[in-house]
Amino acid sequence: MTPAILIDVTRCTGCERCVAACIKRNELDPLRAETDRATGVDGLSANRWSTIVQVDRGRFARKSCMHCEEPSCVSACLVGGLTKTDAGPVVYDDSKCIGCRYCMLACPFHIPRYEWDETIPYVRKCDMCFERLQDGQKPACVEACPNEALLFGDRNDLLGVARDRINRDPQYKNHVWGETEFGGTSVLYVSDVDLAGLGWPEHLDNPISALTDPLIHMTPVIGMTVAFGSLGLSWIIRRRMTRASEADGEDGEHDAKS
Amino acid sequence: MPSRSRALKDVLWALALVGLVAGVFRMWFGLGATTHMSDAVPWGLWKVLNMVAGVALSTSGFTIGFLVYVLRLEQFRKYVKPAILLAFLGYGCSMLALLFDIGLPHRFWHPIVMWNEHSFLFEVFWCVLLYFTVTLIELSPSVLEQTRARRIGRWLHRLAFGVVIVGISLSSLHHSSLGSLFLVTPVRLHELWYTSWLPFLFIVSAMGAGMMMLVLVRIVYARLYDPEPVFGPASSGINGIVCQIPGISVDSGGVPERGPEMVRLSKLAIIAASLLGATLALKVVDVARRGAWTGLGQGQWEAWLFGVELLIGLALPIVLVAIPRTRRSPYGLGVASASAAAGLAINRLNVGIFGYLRDAGSFYIPSLTEWAVSVGVVAAAGLAFLFFVENCSIFDERSVVARQPGESLTVLFERWSHVWYAALMSGVHRVTLIAVLVIPLAWILLYPPYSGDNIPTVPVQAATGLDINRATLWLNSDRKGVEVTFAHLDHQNRLGKDSACHLCHHVSMPNDRSTPCSRCHRDMLSATPIFNHAHHEQAVMEKERLSGWHATNRTCGYCHPPGQAKTSDNAKDCFDCHKTDMWLTSAPDSTINLSDACAFREAMHRTCIPCHKDKAQEVKRPNLAECYTCHTSLTPRQLVTGPVTANLER
Repeated sequence: MTPAILIDVTRCTGCERCVAACIKRNELDPLRAETDRATGVDGLSANRWSTIVQVDRGRFARKSCMHCEEPSCVSACLVGGLTKTDAGPVVYDDSKCIGCRYCMLACPFHIPRYEWDETIPYVRKCDMCFERLQDGQKPACVEACPNEALLFGDRNDLLGVARDRINRDPQYKNHVWGETEFGGTSVLYVSDVDLAGLGWPEHLDNPISALTDPLIHMTPVIGMTVAFGSLGLSWIIRRRMTRASEADGEDGEHDAKS
Repeated sequence: MPSRSRALKDVLWALALVGLVAGVFRMWFGLGATTHMSDAVPWGLWKVLNMVAGVALSTSGFTIGFLVYVLRLEQFRKYVKPAILLAFLGYGCSMLALLFDIGLPHRFWHPIVMWNEHSFLFEVFWCVLLYFTVTLIELSPSVLEQTRARRIGRWLHRLAFGVVIVGISLSSLHHSSLGSLFLVTPVRLHELWYTSWLPFLFIVSAMGAGMMMLVLVRIVYARLYDPEPVFGPASSGINGIVCQIPGISVDSGGVPERGPEMVRLSKLAIIAASLLGATLALKVVDVARRGAWTGLGQGQWEAWLFGVELLIGLALPIVLVAIPRTRRSPYGLGVASASAAAGLAINRLNVGIFGYLRDAGSFYIPSLTEWAVSVGVVAAAGLAFLFFVENCSIFDERSVVARQPGESLTVLFERWSHVWYAALMSGVHRVTLIAVLVIPLAWILLYPPYSGDNIPTVPVQAATGLDINRATLWLNSDRKGVEVTFAHLDHQNRLGKDSACHLCHHVSMPNDRSTPCSRCHRDMLSATPIFNHAHHEQAVMEKERLSGWHATNRTCGYCHPPGQAKTSDNAKDCFDCHKTDMWLTSAPDSTINLSDACAFREAMHRTCIPCHKDKAQEVKRPNLAECYTCHTSLTPRQLVTGPVTANLER
């Protein structure tokens, strides 16, 4: 089973109970979480790992880590501090992080945030309440949702639920956001309005690691090719130079004789 | 020592010291307080200018090695040592700048033991680390030959060919990988710069600009120490500089004046310019291939940056090198190489910073600290360069400073230590003087912005009654010894007995008439949120008899307008419901915000001082509104300079 969250935008009332539960569960500073919503670019910050965004008139959607199936941040992190667990969530190990912030650059959804105010800062993002999942509980946001706008379950089951809702009710847009985006995500959205308000990038069907992986696997080949190419080139040139000087020498001798 | 290099050294020392102060601030206060990087712009000046561009400008270490050791172009053998020195210092200063940039510098060694071979940054880290070692091995013979450890140097020198090949291989990997770093941002980087060709563009442009950098360094070295080989025999004096306008200045024979070295430098510049030409061609083809011209046509500011980058970094140097007159003039070549290096830096800044700003929706101008560290690190590398040039034979057969053969390492480094050791021993020295002037100046200039925002939490303790009737109250709210004895009963009687409560107790809790100050103003220094949301949900639910599955969720609309994000700004006014049970001194207006209570100290001062000032005029006792009227526990000195007055203004 791959745990996933399905977000039904038509059911979300924007009460922010999920956000409050997230703040409580992760022991974030509520005051900072509140002020960061106003000052941050999109409401997310190191003190606020999930937020509610108004995507259309009267339509709200929770914004948080998408827990991609093939995450760009995981392939980007040079020390392997971010991992896609078998249980679904993309989790962050702060004992490895060196603070290079490449994950923040690599994430197409702009999710990882940095503790800029700290002297010893770490990257912060939603971990789908990984410890709760291990205890067999739902993520805190799903549990807190009073309107069943957030559903937790197996990804394939949830895709079925999403398809079912779309087929039954014509008001839904015929698209499950997160089914194929960037190679698929573990957070899925169904909606009756366009979700551009979430600040997502334009649609790409392949995971970002598909752009870099083939290249990086060529690294040893390129390195060896260049090394042996240079060696070979140098050998050829040296031989030709030796021959040329020998020929010069012979010519010289010949000239001297004549 | 020539006075010109002395003046340059003074400037470099000053810049390096400013950078040092800024670096200390960065370590002390953290990234957020000292830089303008943010969640929207996570990579700033240090990473992009010092690492990506700095490493790119140090390519000469491997390109000259390739020309000399592989292609056997013996005429460039003279440039091997300077190129290696340039690479060594370039990589060194990139790594130093990175130490300031990464959030947890004490963990810089983590990638050595913790591997993620899918990451291009991991590859760059390893290649840079290994290549830095390579340059160290390549450089050490030139340093060791000045010392008694000459034999180790000679032994290392024998490895040269193998080391050069390893260096070429590593360089070809990480110079392209620096471009591949940005391949992960297909949806964020502006279309003018994002292309799958980034690795090729990066390595080719870096090779060209890196060679140009070597040309520039050679010309600058000549200007500083030994003008004759480059600037020609007549230019050793001051007059030589004045009449050396490119292409115009001629000596009596009608031939532009120049030294014998210029022939070789021009050849190197031609190679560099052809690489820059290849970059230009690749770029034009790439943009046309992807149809990204639209961005240029729409007049976006990115298009201007792109144009500037092409013009300064590629077109201008190519043209200058193509014209024989400027190519053979040291000044023409100097301009060409400086513009190529600057253009490469602009290109890397575009790819690493500016290309993201449209997507990030915010702008980034590096802070003073970022500039200071960035420039300071380069200045320090410049100083090290001058040191090596003067003490080892880098450009010429013998070093600038004459040296007895067989001097030990300690002597070599004693010259280095001259800078502070001799300075401290023998009184006022140049560098000490610079340090004394510059460090405090940098401190003053850089310090102030970082004191804000970090207000500590100091819980407020309730006032204590000093007598049984609470006629006199003891206010020592943070228990830090700053106390006020407040004659409560006296104030009450003077102001109108039982009808006077509301004059000070400006807002009361529901069904209360004199809520104590500390009930809401719960922190000494920062504001406290006082609105209990959960309690209100419950109250509304009970009052409206809401029931069903999610009764509390149905309460939202009671205060928040439908169809809008639920914030305290657009919620219903408190006094719409609390018409009778809450007291407010004046009519409710939009300025009073009941979701947060201001800091206790602010609240006290705002309540007492205006009233005391009015009374002071009324009863003609001018001292009634002075600090010491209430703060009897503070000494006059504390009252003048202490925290109270300072924060009162704020």
